Amino acid sequence: MTERAVLEATELNKRYGDLHAVRGVSFHIDAGETYGLLGPNGAGKTTTIAMVGGLLENDGGQVLIEGEPMTVHTLDPRRKIGLVPQDLAIYPDLTARENLTFFARLYELGGRRLKDRVENVLEVIGLRDRADDRAGEFSGGMKRRLNIGIGLLHEPRLLILDEPTVGVDPQSRNAILESVEALSADGMAVLYTTHYMEEAERLANRVGIIDQGEIKAEGTRRQLVQMVGERDRISITANGPLESVVSDLRALSGVQDVGASDGQITLLVEDASALLALALETVAKNGASVSSVVVEEPDLEAAFLHLTGKALRD
Amino acid sequence: MKTIWNIARKDLALRSRDRSIFIIGLVAPLALAFIFNLVFGGSINDVGESVRFEYGLVDLDQGDVALAFGDVMANLESEALISVERFGTEAAGRTAVEDGTVDAIIILPADLTSRITSGEPAKLEVVGNVDSPTGATIASSIAERFSTGLASATDAALTAVATGVVDPTGIAEAAAEAGALPPLATVVDIEAGIRQLDAATFFVAGLSIFFMFFVAGLGVTSMLEERRDGTMTRLIASPIRRSSIIAGKALTSVLIGLVAMITLVITSTLVMGANWGRPLGVLLLIVSAVLAVVALMSFVGGLAKTAEQAGNLQSIVAVTLGMLGGTFVPISDPTSFLGKLRFLTPNAWFLRGLADLSGGSIADTLPAVAVLALIAVVFGAAALSVARRVVTT
Ligand SMILES: Nc1ncnc2c1ncn2[C@@H]1O[C@H](COP(=O)(O)OP(=O)(O)O)[C@@H](O)[C@H]1O
Ligand SMILES: [Mg+2]
Repeated sequence: MTERAVLEATELNKRYGDLHAVRGVSFHIDAGETYGLLGPNGAGKTTTIAMVGGLLENDGGQVLIEGEPMTVHTLDPRRKIGLVPQDLAIYPDLTARENLTFFARLYELGGRRLKDRVENVLEVIGLRDRADDRAGEFSGGMKRRLNIGIGLLHEPRLLILDEPTVGVDPQSRNAILESVEALSADGMAVLYTTHYMEEAERLANRVGIIDQGEIKAEGTRRQLVQMVGERDRISITANGPLESVVSDLRALSGVQDVGASDGQITLLVEDASALLALALETVAKNGASVSSVVVEEPDLEAAFLHLTGKALRD
Repeated sequence: MKTIWNIARKDLALRSRDRSIFIIGLVAPLALAFIFNLVFGGSINDVGESVRFEYGLVDLDQGDVALAFGDVMANLESEALISVERFGTEAAGRTAVEDGTVDAIIILPADLTSRITSGEPAKLEVVGNVDSPTGATIASSIAERFSTGLASATDAALTAVATGVVDPTGIAEAAAEAGALPPLATVVDIEAGIRQLDAATFFVAGLSIFFMFFVAGLGVTSMLEERRDGTMTRLIASPIRRSSIIAGKALTSVLIGLVAMITLVITSTLVMGANWGRPLGVLLLIVSAVLAVVALMSFVGGLAKTAEQAGNLQSIVAVTLGMLGGTFVPISDPTSFLGKLRFLTPNAWFLRGLADLSGGSIADTLPAVAVLALIAVVFGAAALSVARRVVTT
């Protein structure tokens, strides 16, 4: 945690009757950081977000937004949050522009600034030429984009996206992921829940793996993968004295294992990007010539499977 | 306040795109009032030119004042405007009214002359027939006119008696010039209420308030809809008070109710010749009625879990109160148990207020306005507490 986190959630708990839906969930997000909450349906992602956004009373725990406590009764911290609900929350009988204008006013935007922000968001979500059409006439992807756009109007410090790409066509999905990347690059903190491994891998600086209301593990993708003993794999296809190459490679620090067969050398390493140059140099030094190199970083899939005993599939 | 208006403005925009509100709030009451007036209007209010009103006179006084009143009636009879039948007892007179043999009876109480001569307040009673609102109204105005004339005359005569100029028995004959003095004899109009409204006004007023119930419930229903459609989540996530959401919804209902009612008043006046009465009084009644109905329907709707359930509950309450309140047809016996029960409904108080307005001054509507305001306050408070439950994700 650097200086003061944009969001700091501590020991959040929520019970629905007998169901302990969220159990002692803690995490923090810094400015410019994207935190991925990755877990299957029913894991407690939406419930966690509802407590973070001050929508739902918690049964213990604390939420701080830039140091300010957030409860269901506090209004001030809400100005710093842009919350994009999992289910579409737009008025189908209003146009895109009317939807944006209405919600912008709830965040005390007015006058020139209101107009500017609405135009800007229309641009960002790519709905400028459909701004005056009723939202009900939009495609699923366009509705999703509008749903997200509403959360951006007041330029929040923390953007919360709850499974924003569910049921979206690939093109819209890509547009959504790109805009999240851009917002993060601008310094916005993002809390992104998903049950898609690829999205968490692509967007999140850190990932929390949540299952049955508990965060099972948390860290960068690399940390998570290493936690369960998965390693990067470098495959080099080369001609030449491969035996000496292999023994030299084995001597390098950070290399776990090396094997060779049919002119292909496979290395299991802790960090492929740190070791790749050195490995290629070693091959060349031994007088072998490289014809192809493939670097495979193990995905979260394996880590997830290991941590939860579940495959992350719909 | 800005937030409340922002929410109300959004809801008004949404509603204005939804044709059903025009149908429920405006087209239905107007069309039905028009049809009701065609079908039932004649039997309730037949003011044909050839019609002569038949009145009964129950003279329990037999004194000078009664004699003078008899002369007034005889005069009108000779002009072929009315016909007069005398009844020996009050009971006989009332039976005749109930049977419809006469349009109204006027009862001169036993102590009329003695009260008038001693300067005490006295009252003439007018009992009107249910099916002849106009006949009853005219009987009242005859009695009213007489008592007003009597008042000024009595006043002059009393002065004369006091100064010894005239002997007390000559007072009745002294009835001549009328000043602007208050009447000594109050005319008690037993059949006040809806009967003083003409048929067109009665139907359009009754149906307007009936359909208002459906329009007035939209605020709560839309809160339940927002919860169902997920937009409530957004409202709660934004930095606004939950009470602002409720206030915005209530404001929407009240505005829609007011616009619908005012439009109905204007349209029915222009198209159907309805006669609502003095605008200020009508406005007072409309505002208090709209507030009462919005409060009542918000409470009822707030008890429901879903928008559909709320709509059903509200319909049941609207129809029940509409029937009970004598909205569709005048209640045949207003003195019966059922007839009295109607005053549990805002509908009856609204119609009563309008009737009082048409028969009197704006001040006469105040009891009805007060009752409607009370309903608004009581159910408004109850609605507020149930509505808080609805403002959740
Ligand atoms: N309002 C509620 N009442 C009762 N149970 C609920 C409610 N909301 C969610 N749950 C349950 O809590 C668990 C977590 O749900 P949720 O937070 O929506 O998970 P996710 O968003 O990860 O799919 C699920 O088992 C779900 O059925
Ligand atoms: Mg969810």
